[in-house]
Formats: sequence, structure tokens, C-alpha cells
Amino acid sequence: MTTQLPLCDVAVIGAGPAGLTAACELAESGRDVVVLDEQGAPGGQIYKGVEKVFADRPQDIRPLGREYAEGKTLTRRFRQSGARYQPGVSVWQITSDQEPDLALGLIENGSARMLHPKHVILATGAMERPTPFEGWTLPGVMTVGAAQTLLKSSRLLPEDDVVLAGTGPLLYLYVMQLKKFGIRPQAILDTGPPLSLRTSLLGLRALITCPQAMFQGMRWLWGAGVKTNMTRGVDSLKAQGGDHLSSVSYEARGRRHELSTSLLLVHDGVIPNTWLSMSAGIKHHFNETQNCWVPEIQGAGLTSRDCISIVGDAAGIGGAEVAMLQGERVAREVDAYLEDHQHPQTSIESGVLRRQRWMRSFIDEAFPSTAQFQSPENDIVVCRCEEVTAGEIRQVTERGCMGPNQGKAFTRCGMGPCMGRKCGLTVSRLMAQVRGVSVQEVGHYRIRSPIRPITVGQLADMESILKGDNQSVLSANSS
Amino acid sequence: MFRLRTNLTDPVTFSFEGRRLTASRGDTLAAALLASGVFIFRNSPVSSAPRAPFCMIGNCYECFVQVEAMGVVQACLTEVTEGMQITKVSNQIDELGMDIKEVSKE
Amino acid sequence: MTKKYFDVAVIGGGLLGSSFAYGFGQAGLSVALIDEGDNAIRTARGNFGLVWVQGKGEGMREYARWSRKSADDWGNFSAQLSELTDHDLGYHQSGGFNISLDEAELQQYLRMLEGLKADAGEEGYEYELVQGRTLAKYLPGIGEDVAGATYCPHDGHVNPLYLLRALQEGFRKHGGCYLPLSSIDQIQPLKSSGFELSSEGRQVASCERLVIAAGHGSVGLGQQVGIRIPIYPEQGQIIVTERSTEQLAYPTNMIRQTDEGTFMLGASARDVGFNSETTTDTLQDIVRRCASAFPHLRSLRIQRNWAALRIMTPDGFPVYSQSEEFPGAFAFSCHSGVTLAAVHAQDVCRWVVDGKIPTDYRCFGPERFDVSTAN
Ligand SMILES: Cc1cc2nc3c(=O)[nH]c(=O)nc-3n(C[C@H](O)[C@H](O)[C@H](O)COP(=O)(O)OP(=O)(O)OC[C@H]3O[C@@H](n4cnc5c(N)ncnc54)[C@H](O)[C@@H]3O)c2cc1C
Ligand SMILES: Cc1cc2nc3c(=O)[nH]c(=O)nc-3n(C[C@H](O)[C@H](O)[C@H](O)COP(=O)(O)OP(=O)(O)OC[C@H]3O[C@@H](n4cnc5c(N)ncnc54)[C@H](O)[C@@H]3O)c2cc1C
Ligand code: FES
Repeated sequence: MTTQLPLCDVAVIGAGPAGLTAACELAESGRDVVVLDEQGAPGGQIYKGVEKVFADRPQDIRPLGREYAEGKTLTRRFRQSGARYQPGVSVWQITSDQEPDLALGLIENGSARMLHPKHVILATGAMERPTPFEGWTLPGVMTVGAAQTLLKSSRLLPEDDVVLAGTGPLLYLYVMQLKKFGIRPQAILDTGPPLSLRTSLLGLRALITCPQAMFQGMRWLWGAGVKTNMTRGVDSLKAQGGDHLSSVSYEARGRRHELSTSLLLVHDGVIPNTWLSMSAGIKHHFNETQNCWVPEIQGAGLTSRDCISIVGDAAGIGGAEVAMLQGERVAREVDAYLEDHQHPQTSIESGVLRRQRWMRSFIDEAFPSTAQFQSPENDIVVCRCEEVTAGEIRQVTERGCMGPNQGKAFTRCGMGPCMGRKCGLTVSRLMAQVRGVSVQEVGHYRIRSPIRPITVGQLADMESILKGDNQSVLSANSS
Repeated sequence: MFRLRTNLTDPVTFSFEGRRLTASRGDTLAAALLASGVFIFRNSPVSSAPRAPFCMIGNCYECFVQVEAMGVVQACLTEVTEGMQITKVSNQIDELGMDIKEVSKE
Repeated sequence: MTKKYFDVAVIGGGLLGSSFAYGFGQAGLSVALIDEGDNAIRTARGNFGLVWVQGKGEGMREYARWSRKSADDWGNFSAQLSELTDHDLGYHQSGGFNISLDEAELQQYLRMLEGLKADAGEEGYEYELVQGRTLAKYLPGIGEDVAGATYCPHDGHVNPLYLLRALQEGFRKHGGCYLPLSSIDQIQPLKSSGFELSSEGRQVASCERLVIAAGHGSVGLGQQVGIRIPIYPEQGQIIVTERSTEQLAYPTNMIRQTDEGTFMLGASARDVGFNSETTTDTLQDIVRRCASAFPHLRSLRIQRNWAALRIMTPDGFPVYSQSEEFPGAFAFSCHSGVTLAAVHAQDVCRWVVDGKIPTDYRCFGPERFDVSTAN
């Protein structure tokens, strides 16, 4: 392979449904597109491992479900699209708007390099909402998404003693998938509230507008509830054990229960993965309904920073269907933007997309995040890395710390390797509660690069053509 | 936690803390270790409490392990390869055996 | 409640303001510490944590003396503060090394130290050149190509975040009143004496004495009471690594290890206005220098980078001033707020209580810049 110049028209970060669709559209219309993803294969979270499953484990296609299998169509299209695919690459920085040019810092095979695209599309997807509760740092406690990832990519199935706890569609989907693999969890502890009239009405609208998705959802819920040990109205979840989880206890209908288990899977919905967009200085705001920070989007996917667009769950949770529909719109917008750097007239959202959004507002209402996780008690560790408790956060706030940045300086909360991914939401929420103001007003950690690990040596050895002297490289490319 | 897998397709051999283990080619280190019954990946550098993978998609950093010739990596984002030697990340501070002393008084 | 009349109000909750507020509290005064919110430009949150004497004061002997005095007082100051607040500040007066990577750098630095020594005369100026094997004994892992380092026994380091937290905590324990989310935009001198401070038309506090220590915010505030503060921002970038089992017992000019085990690498200097974004080339300069000095630290993971804005004066020395027009109003700015924390909390607080800056310290006044503009 000849050495490639570190240039391209569009760099897409994330090879999930959103990034792949956008990349296909742009590459098929002749743009030079590079797709970067830190996973080893395309598909993102929902279609993780889909190529491998089709190639090596065809018997698993059915139990993983029809929605999963659809991912194969997308990855096949992508492989033929002409987009350059670079798996196993982590993006650790986007240069700030104070630097001479827009560039991405990449880590690949243990060394760092830079890529200089004309436009960047962030399709970094979602991550699971933090779930602080007693014992959540014990080995043996994982997220539902983590277990599902292990199932899709490596066919790891939990033992029968597994307990699931929390709320949200992903939890029910996973239970449904387990059922098809012949596994019946010991218990499913549903922490969500009972369905209200308002949610039922929203559900009705969603049913009329999106019957297919609704039926699918009902299948999951129904499938999960029937013949499984589901307990609703669960509160005060605790994980117990010495070096490893040994039991789970909880309250339901006013009584405390205990189950012995080696694996507890928790879930409380998903939130946009905004660490890269925040580190790039893009404006974000707090979305109260989805209970998460979302980037401010102009048009289909443009942001407050020139030449950076966001698409898919990273722009606000919408699910895979929306991610793909948005991927097409954002690709068209970027294609036009590349011509004249004017914000193009935004195409109106299609009916399908609008209907998907109604569906989403039903999901948002039906699965609000769990109160116990939103307001953890004082002795609960909220920052897993630095082991800072909710009580410490409340205390510094009461003593005049107005936001998470000062709080971080005083307590080290959010200073560890995860850079606040597992405590950011909780800390802002706790501070807002103490101060009696909105999460928006309290704000979020200031996120700075590197958002993925890079060593002193890797940064020192990196070749960089910043400082504006990449003109020569640009002309070398065009000749 | 997880069921052991039978008849691995295309197995690779690797080791953790000197123990010889096998995994499927293409597995992440985290999957390979969990499937081999390894539950504790590291100890918290703050309290030494045991820790293991939590998110599997690169966000919690609980899965750090030391890989020979690679350094510390996130096990959920790194593929296992033939012969890989993995150990726990050490938090042990060796006593330097040197007190801080005023250099100029030597 | 906001109508309360304080003995003294301090504007700015950074390192300077918090040191003063703590000092006034200790002196038994009623104090208000007025600060902005979470996203303010706050130099105090982004510094290297050196309590540093070595190399300071070229061109102004009083500054060398002042830094040295603060370093000497730091031990007591820190012990008192730790005891009051039950917070360990991570302070160590271990002495520190200034590493010079190549011979030219080393010779230039030595010439400067010679000059400082000559300047100091009888008072003396302690430092020592350490090279080769001896250097490796004190700084294990030091690169073989490093030309040498100078050691100064008065240097030390501290966790600057814990220092800030302890100062504010100590101030609180002394009964001080912290007023955040109050960006002061108006200072109204009162008829007889004293000042009234307000923010967006809201009265925040009134006070007998006023101390302006608002970092870069001081310029505009000073103008309102007839004090000119010639400062400008100079950006500095810092890198922090993961916690490591490697050990570095002494702080140096380019790298130091914290009590948590992390390494701080820095700090660069750039003149880029009020911009606190890090830049790739500067970060690379920092890691390249550190990697040359300590090759064995190359494998450390970088945990965080940041940029903060130094408060620079045209000659690099502090600007301490008092209002002639409105007695009782003072303004203090400097770029070594960690090093000088001890003298700020003690000596400078006394000046304010006494109502004037002693003549011995008038050399730090902004008038020194007038001379050059006059001719
Ligand atoms: C663990 C998990 C499992 C899920 N499983 C399902 C499911 O089974 N069914 C379902 O309907 N929904 C699922 N979801 C919700 C799902 O995320 C979305 O519906 C859908 O995948 C969103 O697509 P996307 O293209 O926006 O992002 P994603 O599919 O999340 O893709 C984002 C991609 O970006 C990459 N990336 C992120 N940051 C970087 C970086 N710094 N450098 C390099 N690459 C980066 C990631 O590796 C990932 O491949 C899951 C979510 C999570 C968190
Ligand atoms: C990269 C770097 C490294 C450094 N390393 C060291 C070191 O090793 N040793 C050392 O001694 N020093 C060091 N310094 C310098 C040290 O950090 C500063 O001297 C010190 O922080 C200055 O503190 P300050 O209180 O004057 O300003 P700041 O910390 O900036 O505080 C000013 C405060 O005033 C508030 N404010 C501003 N305007 C208003 C207003 N109108 N109303 C109310 N409040 C207001 C702000 O919100 C802020 O909280 C370093 C600086 C940098 C940038
Ligand atoms: S398991 Fe969370 S980062 Fe690897």
C-alpha cells in the first residue's frame, strides 16, 4: 500500500448506522471519505459484529433478531461504497478553532498521527446513562449494553443466575434475545414507573404513526414480561459482595428482597456520546425530556463550529432508524456545504423521520430515567475513577461550589481516566438539586482533549503538519 | 458470570498473569478474559478495590490491562492476538529508598 | 442580607483573593469574598503548583527577596492552614531542580543565577549545579543527554487545587461570607468612607476596605477607583498524566509529581489573548522536552491537557497598588500566586488593615512603568 496523504474531503467518526449511511451517500456521489472507528468492524453498537455473525455464526442470526440482521445490508453497501475504512483507530482530538487548520488526532497501532479533512462528521453514537448505586463498582456488575455487546461480538451468554435491573428498551430487547438463546434470567427488576395516561396517549399516537416499530417494541416488552421473573416498581437496589458480586438486594412493594447471583446487569437508557463534540468546543444544551446533554444542531447536522456536523445518536437519541435517515440528510447537507461553505437550505424532514420522532417521544415518556440513580444517597460513589461520593459533591456545592468544574478542582471528581463519562451527568444533576436550579444553569465539565488515551511518547513522536504549513501538502494532493 | 464457550472457531492462545488461555480470533481482550472466567481485571489506584469491565464500549476505563510490548490498553477496544501476554496493571509503588534531602548539604 | 457592611470585601475568588480573604479572616475582620461562577476565567485552577524561588527577580532584587520570604514562610503558613481545615495541601519544601536540556541553555541559566547572586550581595543566593551521575541519583531516569540542572533548597511544590480549597475552607471557618455568581461591575465609593459593590444593578455588598484581586477582571474594576493595572494574559499549557508507580522526589521547572502519583508537565508560555484552548504544537513542545529529560516517562498515558491564562505584567513582577483618590481601595495582581500565597495571606493583609502599602514595597506599584512612558 502506498502511503496516503493525510487528507480527505470528509472524515466520518463512527461506523454505526448514522456514520455508515452518511459515508455511503457521500462516497457514492464521488467524495473522498474516510471512516474512522475504534472498533474492529463496521456496524456501531446496534450492529456490532454483524459481519462476523453472518460469516461464522449463522445460527445466531435468528435469535439476535430481524433488526440486527438488517445491519448486514448496510455494511455490505458500505464495503462497496468506495469510502476508505480505517477500523481500530481512536480519535483523541479535534483541533480547536484556534489552530491553523481543522485536523483530527488519531491513534492507530500504538502510534499517533493527524488527518486533515475538509469536513468532519461526528457519528459517535450513544452510551449508557450512568447508574450510581451501592456496589456498582463491584466486578460482576455490568451494564446491559455491555453484556449485549459480548453476546453480539463473542457469543458470550450469561449464566442462568443473571439478574437484570433498570429500565429502557435495550433491557427488554436483550431479555428477548436471551430468551431465544434459551436463557431465562433469574430476575428482571424493573425500576420504571407504571405507565401513565399521558404515556398511553403518546403510545397510541406512536402506534398509529409507527405501527411496525410499536409492534416490535411490544413484542420485546411482552416477550420480556411473559414467562420471565419480572418485578415492577423496584427501588433501593444494592449490589453486595467481597471481591466479586455475590448478591443483589432491592425493595419492592414495601419489602426488602435478596437474590444471590454472580452477574447483575443494569441499564437506565442511553445518552449521546458527546465527549468528542464537547472537546471540540461545540455548543451543547441540556435536554430535560431525554435527561442528557445534546449538541446544538443547525439545519440537518451542522453545529456551532464551521466544518463539523453531527449525526445519529450523538446528536440526540433517536435510534438506528433515525440515525440512517439523518445520515442521508446530513450527507446531502455536507455535500452542498463543501461547495460554498454556506449553510444550505435544509430539506424538510420526511414523514418517516417525523413519525420516528413521535415514536421516540413515546419511548422517552415511557422509560424515564430511574429516580434512585438520579439522586444517589450520600455514601454512594458517583465518580468510579477517583471514588468520590455523592455526599462530597453535595457538600462542596453547599459550601459555594457553583458547578462541576470548580467541584472537580476541589474533589478530583471527574479527573480520572474516564474523564467524567461515568459521573458527568450525575454531578451536574446533584449540584442542580442542591442549588435549586436547572442542570443547564449548573453546566457540564469542560471536556478537553485527549478524549482517548495517548502516551507522552506517542504525542512526542507524532508528525504534525499544523502551523498552517500544510499548504504544500494540499497542493501535492491536487496535482 | 458468563457461560464458558465450547468448540471455539479459529482459537488463539494467550496468557493472563502467566495462565495460558484460549479465545476466538476476533474477540476483544475483555471478551476473551471474561469467557475464560477472569473476573478481576485490575485494582483501583485509589482504594485498591477490585474492578472489571463495566461498559464494554470504551467509556468506563475499568478494563485497563497491561499487554507485553503494547503497554496499558483498554481491554474492550483491543483485539486478542496469538501469544499475547497480559498482566494486571501494577499500582504498587516501590519504595525509592531515597529520602528527600537537601542536595546542597551533601 | 446583601446590605451587610463588611470590614473588607475582596473581589475575586482565585488564589490571590482567597489568600487575602483567609488572611483577613484570621486577623479577625468580617470579610466578604466575591466571585463569579463555574466558567469564569480562573488562572488559579490551571497552574503548576510550584512554590518557586530559583531564577526569580532578575532586574528587581526586591522581587527575589519577596519570593524567598514567602517560600520561607510557606511551611508555617501551610501547617496552620492544614490544621485549621483538616486538608492536606500536598506541600513539600524539598528543594527543586531547574533542568537545562543542552549546554547553551545551561550556560545562559547559570549566568542569570550568577547575576542574581551578585545582586543579592550579603543576603546570599543559594543554588548548586548538579550534573551527570550525581544528578541521576536525585532525579532517577534523567536522560543521559541532559546538560545539567541547578538545585535550589528553597523551592518546593504544593497541590494548587487543594491550596485553593483549603484557603476558601479556612476563610469559611473564620466566619467569612462567600458570595459567588456575583460579577461586580460597579464600585460606588461612599460619601464618608467605604464602598458599595453591585453586579448588574444588584447590590452585592458594602465594605470599609476594598481589595481588588480579580485576576484579569481587575483592570476594569481598578479604573473605577482610579487604579491603573497594566496586566495582559499570557497563555500557559499543562499536561497531566495518569497516576504512575514511577517516582520523582523533586519538583523541576518542567515536570513534577503530585502526591496522587500523577505527573504534571509544562508549562508553556504563549501570548494569545483571552484564549484558553490548547494547541497541538505547544503540547508537543512540552512532551518533547519532558521526554528528553525523562525518557522513561514516555510510556505514561496523558490524562488531561489544559491551558490557563497567566496574569502578566510588562516586567513580570507583581503590581500592588492603592488608590490615592479613594483611600481604602487596593488592587493586587501577580503571576506567582502560589509562591506568594504565604506573604499575601500575612504581610499584604496587614498592609490593608494598616491602610497603606509600606514604602519598602512601593517598588511594586504601577508607577514604575510611568518612568519609561515619560521620557
Ligand atoms: C452498548 C449499546 C448497545 C446498543 N444496542 C442496541 C441494539 O441492540 N438495538 C438498538 O436498537 N439500539 C441499540 N443501542 C442504541 C444504539 O446506539 C443506537 O440506536 C444506534 O446504534 C445509533 O447509531 P449511531 O450510528 O448513531 O451510533 P453507534 O452505533 O453508537 O456508532 C458509534 C460508533 O462510533 C465509534 N466511536 C465513538 N467515539 C469514537 C472515537 N473517539 N474514535 C473512534 N471511534 C469512535 C464507536 O466505536 C461506534 O462504533 C445500543 C447502545 C449502546 C450504547
Ligand atoms: C500555566 C500556568 C502555570 C502556573 N504555575 C504557577 C506556579 O507553578 N507557581 C505559582 O506560584 N504560580 C503559577 N501560576 C500563576 C498563578 O496561577 C496565578 O498567579 C494565580 O492563579 C493568580 O490568581 P488570581 O487570584 O490573581 O487570578 P484568578 O485565579 O484568575 O482569579 C481571579 C478570580 O476573580 C474572579 N473575577 C474576575 N472578575 C470579577 C468580577 N468583576 N467580579 C467578581 N469576581 C471576579 C474570577 O472569577 C476568578 O475567580 C501559573 C499560571 C499559569 C497560567
Ligand atoms: S469496559 Fe468500559 S472501557 Fe472497557
